[in-house]
Amino acid sequence: MSLSFIHRSAMLCRGFRASLNLYDHTTRIPNTTIWLRTLCSSVGEANTRILQSTEEYKFVERLIPPSRVPIPPKHDGPSPSGWTPPSEVPPALPYMIRRSRMHNVPVYTDLTHGSRKTTLVRKVEGDIWALEKDVKEYLQQLTGKDLPTQVNEVTMTLRVKGHFDTELKKWLVEKGF
Amino acid sequence: MFRISVTVCGRGISKRLASSFSGENALPSNLRIPSNLVDRARAKRPPPPSDSSLPVLRRCDAAIPVHLSPVQTWVETLERRDSKLLGLVDLHPDVFAVPTRIDILHEVELWQRNFKRISRAHTKVRSEVSGGGRKPWRQKGSGKARHGSIRSPIWRGGGVSHGPRGPTSFYYMLPMKVRVQGLKIALSSKLAQDYLHVVDTLNIPTPDPQYLMDLIRYRHWGESVLIVDAGEELPENILQATESLKTVNVIPAIGLNVHSMLKHEVLVLTLEAVKFLENKLLWHNERFTPLYPFKLPYTDLP
Repeated sequence: MSLSFIHRSAMLCRGFRASLNLYDHTTRIPNTTIWLRTLCSSVGEANTRILQSTEEYKFVERLIPPSRVPIPPKHDGPSPSGWTPPSEVPPALPYMIRRSRMHNVPVYTDLTHGSRKTTLVRKVEGDIWALEKDVKEYLQQLTGKDLPTQVNEVTMTLRVKGHFDTELKKWLVEKGF
Repeated sequence: MFRISVTVCGRGISKRLASSFSGENALPSNLRIPSNLVDRARAKRPPPPSDSSLPVLRRCDAAIPVHLSPVQTWVETLERRDSKLLGLVDLHPDVFAVPTRIDILHEVELWQRNFKRISRAHTKVRSEVSGGGRKPWRQKGSGKARHGSIRSPIWRGGGVSHGPRGPTSFYYMLPMKVRVQGLKIALSSKLAQDYLHVVDTLNIPTPDPQYLMDLIRYRHWGESVLIVDAGEELPENILQATESLKTVNVIPAIGLNVHSMLKHEVLVLTLEAVKFLENKLLWHNERFTPLYPFKLPYTDLP
């Protein structure tokens, strides 16, 4: 590092030559390099040449991020993290629950007023009342309680009292959504 | 108050009795649609031949969800006045068959009207009206009411106490996804109500506006038509023809908005416009939340 500093200070009066060599010791730069010579204090060098090259732009391009969520690779059954893909054939039920844009099951918990727990099932299509009946039946078996639910036919969502996101997600995945 | 409510109830009861006599199918009065609402000429439109096999001219580029199937509509041409169907076109259900949410349409329409609004109404407050620095007469003994300045709001010529103050902006932005959903809902409702027509190109034989009006009248499309093409370069003939017409307008596909779609009765899209709109609108279903504004470059913007 100190060597490059001395080197740089020595070069300063003459100007930069092959400036990339100073910054980059590891990767070799291809033949067409950008090199620039300053006018001011260069002794005996009257002409300045600027060569433009667009080949190095690939280093910028590979940093630009994508805007679309990638399609997950094919898994038979659950992946190592526990994520399960939706089944190829949609289940033969009167309702359909789509996956979110990140390919997850759209069941979310909510906590309002500090102590009011609800579970929300979004992105329902088809007969939402049949889904409500099935959810109530399943949660009756699970908890033994008849839980209040709210169906919103405009937004096609289902709200259930209590936190049941893990159970409902597993149940929906088992169904094949 | 009670007497008025009793008479209203009485009227309602008599109406209900009348409806029960007429039959169980009579709708209540608030759900009955007046018969002159829809243009009667539309009923005269001949249905397209059902048994003729028309080729599908365009399939959807994007992947359609497994549980849905594409909606189809006919492709027409503007070359001749008589309605000749060229073929069928597949439309993506996530753009042209979304459930209709009138509340979102209302929100987007209100937003479009108000976000550009700058109200320049301005009134002067008592401190801004000229004069009124001096107490008009002494506090006590003159027999008149006590006042501190001649420009107070209770005086004639005085300032306004709670009036509009200066240019007010009503700017707000609805979330991007709500605006996109509004567009999709508007397109779906146009298709569902038979007000959407797909056309192969916008080439018309003459720049005569009468030709377009004749075509629209002949095909019983409707009163006002919004024609949408994909690119900025539109054919000369259609530009000249629609220039003088008030109810027929041509716009590029980037200019499509909910207000224009609601204002015009009929929407006419070209095949390229359908492709463009599907591409742009479906991207929002599968995109990440922006790391930096979408105006800056990403690798795969639509």
